[in-house]
Amino acid sequence: MTLSPYIAYAKKCFLGRSAYRFDHFIGILSTCLQFFIFWEIYRALYGNNTEIDGITMSMVTTNFVLSMGLGAVFSPDDYFLPNKIWDGSIATEFLRPISFKGRMIAENLGNALFSLIFRFVPVLIIAAVTVGVSAPASPVMLLLFILSAGLGFGVLWSISFAVQMTSFWLVNIWSLITIKNVFVNVLSGSMIPLWFMPDWMSGVLGLTPFSSIYFTPVQIYLGQLSYGEIAFKCGVQLVWIAVIYLIGDLLWKKGQRKLVVQGG
Amino acid sequence: MINFENVNKYCLCDISLHIPRGEIIGLIGASGAGKTTLIKLACGLLSPDSGNVYTLGKNPVQNRRLYKDAVSVFVAGTPLLCRNDTVLQGFRLLRAMYGIEKSEFYRRYNELSKRLDFAKCEHQTVKSLSLGQRMRAELAAALIYSPHLLLLDEPNVGLDENGKAALCEILNEYRKSGMTVLMTSHDMAGVSKLCGRIALLDSGRLVFYGSEDNLRSRYAPIDVMTARLSGRIPDFEDLPLKRYTVQGDTITLSYNSNHISSAEILKLILGQTNVCEVSIRKPDLESIIVQLKGGGQNELYRSKGDKQDL
Repeated sequence: MTLSPYIAYAKKCFLGRSAYRFDHFIGILSTCLQFFIFWEIYRALYGNNTEIDGITMSMVTTNFVLSMGLGAVFSPDDYFLPNKIWDGSIATEFLRPISFKGRMIAENLGNALFSLIFRFVPVLIIAAVTVGVSAPASPVMLLLFILSAGLGFGVLWSISFAVQMTSFWLVNIWSLITIKNVFVNVLSGSMIPLWFMPDWMSGVLGLTPFSSIYFTPVQIYLGQLSYGEIAFKCGVQLVWIAVIYLIGDLLWKKGQRKLVVQGG
Repeated sequence: MINFENVNKYCLCDISLHIPRGEIIGLIGASGAGKTTLIKLACGLLSPDSGNVYTLGKNPVQNRRLYKDAVSVFVAGTPLLCRNDTVLQGFRLLRAMYGIEKSEFYRRYNELSKRLDFAKCEHQTVKSLSLGQRMRAELAAALIYSPHLLLLDEPNVGLDENGKAALCEILNEYRKSGMTVLMTSHDMAGVSKLCGRIALLDSGRLVFYGSEDNLRSRYAPIDVMTARLSGRIPDFEDLPLKRYTVQGDTITLSYNSNHISSAEILKLILGQTNVCEVSIRKPDLESIIVQLKGGGQNELYRSKGDKQDL
């Protein structure tokens, strides 16, 4: 197996994104707007308090910047497979000598890399200059944050992968994707930091993959976790990636068989 | 190259067919006869309900990806190039995917883009092309890696006369270098020009497989000879003619070429009189098919009916 076709696809996506400059600036604006709205709401809620339940406003701010910034980076194309099933080009993909999943990852990574450089970084700078963002707890924690954020991307990608695979049977999965996005946005802590959830709820959420997408990296960044906890939480991320990916892969194999037997 | 053994799938019923190496086979039949199903079975996009398909000696469903650049498939309406890419970008991705050496790739690309005449729009996105331009680019995308086996489903859709001629020429050259082609088409003139063998599907059954001449002698053996004479009208009494007409000094004879050859008739005429001009017209593929589907249909169905009686 050679990597060059996958690199070619990743590069195509990276360069493809740079063609739409207007969309890109609006994208930065939208992430900033989202961030400032949430920031204002929480500032009003905090009032004159410097901290609530041991959570300072600066931690909340950092949570929003990081999770919304990462949210802009972690945007796998949920319609990658559905579009190919709609226009029939899935047949072409089945005949190609390269792995379809590999190509999907390559294109998503190309996109993510673009967003990381041209969206996450500008938003981070804007937020740091205007309202201030906490520095990482330590250089080691920064490295672990990057590692954990990578794993978080893996979790989100697997969820998107598994959801997309249902389009072999459902064809139109717009509503399913919307539900998935609501779950990801609300339950991952990017809208309501999971610190403020009632205990029973954060307990339940701890059992879902959503909290390991953004919240685990954010906690590491802020230095809230010990090394043992970090190892455990990263392990949880890995387990989620494996479990959800295997479910998606099972659907992928069944979907292929379905197309070959029933046609598509 | 491809072997179908008693294959059943959708409307296809008990198809057995061997596609030999280095030939161009034309798959013809009315819409819904099962042509595309047959193509998809050959490349492993469909698995047969019963029976076996072997492509390059292997089960195509299990080996689909392993054929790599050995098999190329073009199905009209199923895009090979991504809509949002420019034509050239799409081809560069194909180069990366199939690992074609750079100079070889550009040599082939330049040749194909010139001959199929889409070089001028290579910087446009695929979605902005007209149907004809897009088809030309997509055909080239199916040809760019010089496969051993080419499966084409309606390659003529959207092509103008120049496009058809160019495609015909290219396919003929590829065949000479050893490529096997299985193509469906409704363009009978093209099939007639290009294909060494014809497979005729009718409602899922393979009713004929062989050369065009065989098809003609089986289903449309009536030839028409027109001759302008200088001299007396000869005597045809003993000839097994279907009919003849005399108009001034021109005679028109219809006869069954299975029963008497044109040479025999001509010899007899020349023995009795002088001939200034002669032309022999055999029914072209299109009229054979029309005849089969229309008035002459009974012949097909009669043979089917016979089977049922047995």
